[in-house]
Amino acid sequence: MYQRIDIISAKQVSIQQPLCEEWMTSPVVPSGQFVRAMDPDFRQFVTPGESRRLGKLLKRALATSLSALEEGGIRNPDAIITGTGFGSIENTELFLDALVREGEQMLKPTQFMQSTHNTASSLIGINTKSHGYNSTYSQKGLSFDSALYDAWLQFRLGKIGNALVGAHDEMSPVFSGFMTKAGHVMQGETCSEAAVSVLLEADSTKPSMCTLEDVRILNRPTNEELSQVLSQMKADVCMTGRSGNAGNDALYDFLGDDVPQCSYKPLFGVNFSSSAIGFYAAACSLKAGHVPSVLNGGRGDVPCNSILLVNVVGGRHYSFVLLKAICGR
Amino acid sequence: MEEMILKLKQEIIEVLNLEDVQPDDINNDAPLFGEGLGLDSIDALELIVLMEKNYGIKLQDPAKGKEIFKSVNVMADYIQKNRTK
Repeated sequence: MYQRIDIISAKQVSIQQPLCEEWMTSPVVPSGQFVRAMDPDFRQFVTPGESRRLGKLLKRALATSLSALEEGGIRNPDAIITGTGFGSIENTELFLDALVREGEQMLKPTQFMQSTHNTASSLIGINTKSHGYNSTYSQKGLSFDSALYDAWLQFRLGKIGNALVGAHDEMSPVFSGFMTKAGHVMQGETCSEAAVSVLLEADSTKPSMCTLEDVRILNRPTNEELSQVLSQMKADVCMTGRSGNAGNDALYDFLGDDVPQCSYKPLFGVNFSSSAIGFYAAACSLKAGHVPSVLNGGRGDVPCNSILLVNVVGGRHYSFVLLKAICGR
Repeated sequence: MEEMILKLKQEIIEVLNLEDVQPDDINNDAPLFGEGLGLDSIDALELIVLMEKNYGIKLQDPAKGKEIFKSVNVMADYIQKNRTK
């Protein structure tokens, strides 16, 4: 049985500079209702031959995954667990358009393949020649949290020694409009894209960013249950999904104001993989020893040794993830 | 026929998303699969869709594709003889 679960690397492609932590000191300020991610040079990760059949989401998933694996010194993870709200929505959109235009005839196989949600996880498995546990969760804004919870359970059961957990969502102009209409993106929020991969290892001997202490997901919890979770998962800082929209932000009022709160959505925008960005940002903060001022509304860095990530989806689904700094850092 | 071959090459490049390939890079007699362009079975499906959509040719026996997609010249010749649009 493991003593602890270490987060040994975490990589992102988002509306901030990709595959680096430049956002901590020199962030890109999001503007507009819909902002696309800033892509790295994909040629480092895929050959032109492979690239021609991959949409943006898949290229980003490969870029973040291969970078995280390289930094973590693991080639073939025991488990690849992925969350995605919509999967490769751009190819799905093209496929559906063709379905209507061609009268359900002569559909392109590549677009069909990419319209399935588990394409990213399987692509990473094929690319890294990993034949272990491979799973995909599509639970809207709780997709990453569900993938992480699965990894957590697999570790606890002793079935895996390491895991690559990620969340990947792209967005098209048409679907960003749907996201707004459906209430997933609210007034004042920027609809965005994100791809995040994190590498976890039990009792790692490598330099780690922080440790994963606890993961919980609750559906329609009572106030008593929420209080109980907060008393059991105490942290120096709460990293929440507050976005600047009053309706969304009110969902986090149950946290009170005893613990400093920071938020990542104003900097990274809103999408179904937002909570993965929160996880990544919290891990980077613990590695640095403080939450950077940019996640604190510019009010200065917040020193911390532990962060509780709180994600509330639709006022019904709650996830709590407790991360702690490595002892003796 | 030359015009037809150029058009076909452009269609292959577009449908298979061969970003860095120009029509001149494709040898008319080079094999499309394996060596040459190095296409695979999913590309074969894309080419079957291309022939039906652009030339009205419906391949009843997909196994025939192996012969038809031997090279651009062979493919163009087959299209020329069997096209319905």
